[in-house]
Amino acid sequence: MTFTRTEIEDFLYHEAALIDEWRTDEWQALFTEDAEYLIPPSENPDADKNTALFIINDDFHRLQQRAVRLSKRTAHAEFPHSSVRHMISNVRIVAQDAREVEVHFNQVVYRCKRQITDTYVCYVRQRLVKNGDSFKIRSKRVMLAMDTLRPQGRVSIIL
Amino acid sequence: MPIPLPLGPDGFIRDDRKKHEFLVPRRAFTSPEVLAAERERIFGKCWLYAAHASELSAPNHFVSRRVGGRELVISRDDNGELRAFYNTCSHRGAMVCRQKAGKSKFFVCPYHGWTFNSAGAMTQQPAESGFPAGFFSDGAKDLTQVPRMDTYRDFIFVNYDAHASELVEYLAGATEFLDIVADQSAVGMEITEGNHEYSMRTNWKLLLENSADGYHAMTTHASYFDYLQSTNGSFRTDFNPSDIGGTCVDLGNGHAAIEYVAPWGRPVAQWVPQWGEDGRVAVAQLMADLVTRHGAQRAERIAEKNRNILIFPNLVINDIMALTVRTFQPVSEGYLEVNAWSLAPREEHPNVRKYRQYNFLEFLGPAGFATPDDVEMLELCQQGYQNLPEPMWNDISKGMSKAVNGSDDELQMRTFWRRWNKLMQA
Repeated sequence: MTFTRTEIEDFLYHEAALIDEWRTDEWQALFTEDAEYLIPPSENPDADKNTALFIINDDFHRLQQRAVRLSKRTAHAEFPHSSVRHMISNVRIVAQDAREVEVHFNQVVYRCKRQITDTYVCYVRQRLVKNGDSFKIRSKRVMLAMDTLRPQGRVSIIL
Repeated sequence: MPIPLPLGPDGFIRDDRKKHEFLVPRRAFTSPEVLAAERERIFGKCWLYAAHASELSAPNHFVSRRVGGRELVISRDDNGELRAFYNTCSHRGAMVCRQKAGKSKFFVCPYHGWTFNSAGAMTQQPAESGFPAGFFSDGAKDLTQVPRMDTYRDFIFVNYDAHASELVEYLAGATEFLDIVADQSAVGMEITEGNHEYSMRTNWKLLLENSADGYHAMTTHASYFDYLQSTNGSFRTDFNPSDIGGTCVDLGNGHAAIEYVAPWGRPVAQWVPQWGEDGRVAVAQLMADLVTRHGAQRAERIAEKNRNILIFPNLVINDIMALTVRTFQPVSEGYLEVNAWSLAPREEHPNVRKYRQYNFLEFLGPAGFATPDDVEMLELCQQGYQNLPEPMWNDISKGMSKAVNGSDDELQMRTFWRRWNKLMQA
């Protein structure tokens, strides 16, 4: 069985829409129980999450908790929720077998709050596993194509 | 340049020890003239943290970074000596080093090719004609060394004032706390791979206040504590949240620290069930080693207490669920840059290192469950100051009437501001 770019893109756009619309509970449900959601250090996209200091290193429990936290008023950085939009492009399928597909893409994310718009330029390596008519995410590794988190200062949203 | 702050009997602050009221003028956070004076009187006079010796573990290793607003190269020269020089060519001023870190015997200015060795000495320039014999031979065209550099327990500091007092004298009582950090390893501490470089749209002093503020934890970080409670085994099993207690101490020269019971796991060395049986064994071994090296009482203090350490003016070492070395500097009166590193024993067990990094980014990182909320609070403060010249004063009085301050009082901030006040009037 061969996965097509169109069906992959449909899934990525669906995920992006859940994030942009702050449907964080539906977003976390897209992941497998052995999933990881990572932002490695900018200097080394292939760094080992068990030894290096990452920006995000979530297992399934922590990404679920991230989703829960972002729905609370006490997640102050995101109350009220900022306005978020993901732009996804340059989608490439780089490997696949019958059940899994590795997809790489670029994404630009805009976050607007209190009249300041921050831009996050990223490239993403995502490993998807077939799940009925759709997919689940086994690994999402977001690389910041920026040498620092300045002037954004934080990643309080889901990239 | 006059400092546009209301001068009273206590200087720029109001330090009323009868009424137990301590006030700081909000204009100190919003005025470009105040920042210009701080650059001269504070960043130009105080010892500033620049790097950790572990980042320069062999000859010709270097790092380049901004320290107190100036662009520096810190290197270990061919003979193994630490050097600090300004990252600017002696010819026309271009930066000679464009990498954050690396290993090189030479720094070659990309503009005209002037070449300097890892001690900052000029070794070569490509033109043969146009200069008299001996023009370069007296060291006059070497890179300019930072006037003072010194280390304490592998923490490298620089000072732009040639006449500054010795580092150890400057650090005063803070050496006791730096010792506790350095003593967590038998062979030496190291900066681990990956650092956090971020920013805040706030005045730099707001982050100093925030970095050892026990009072804000239960409100600003309510969602972090919710998370810990929903995560099996991440709290000490016998932990009672109303029993953090602790103390705050003035360490002299504007430095201060709070020290209190750690409710969470500490890589050196307090195990929590989340770390599993492997983690328990590794941490028990760490504790036994600490007792051997330091005796039971000091070992217990190192292992089980949290410490948030403020070293005037802009170094924070938080020895909590991980160990952060955090420094920050103003870019403008309303914008700061942060550099934060994770410090760990070089010999650390892989299982413990894993939880250290996991803990660090969870609480201390710019995408964690706490720091983004701190950034939000500080930016709300900075924006709130737009109301000047109305509400003019911040209140930092908590604990002022008490003989001993706890970790959720505000002595640590008063200690900073009293020193700031003194230096700004010098």
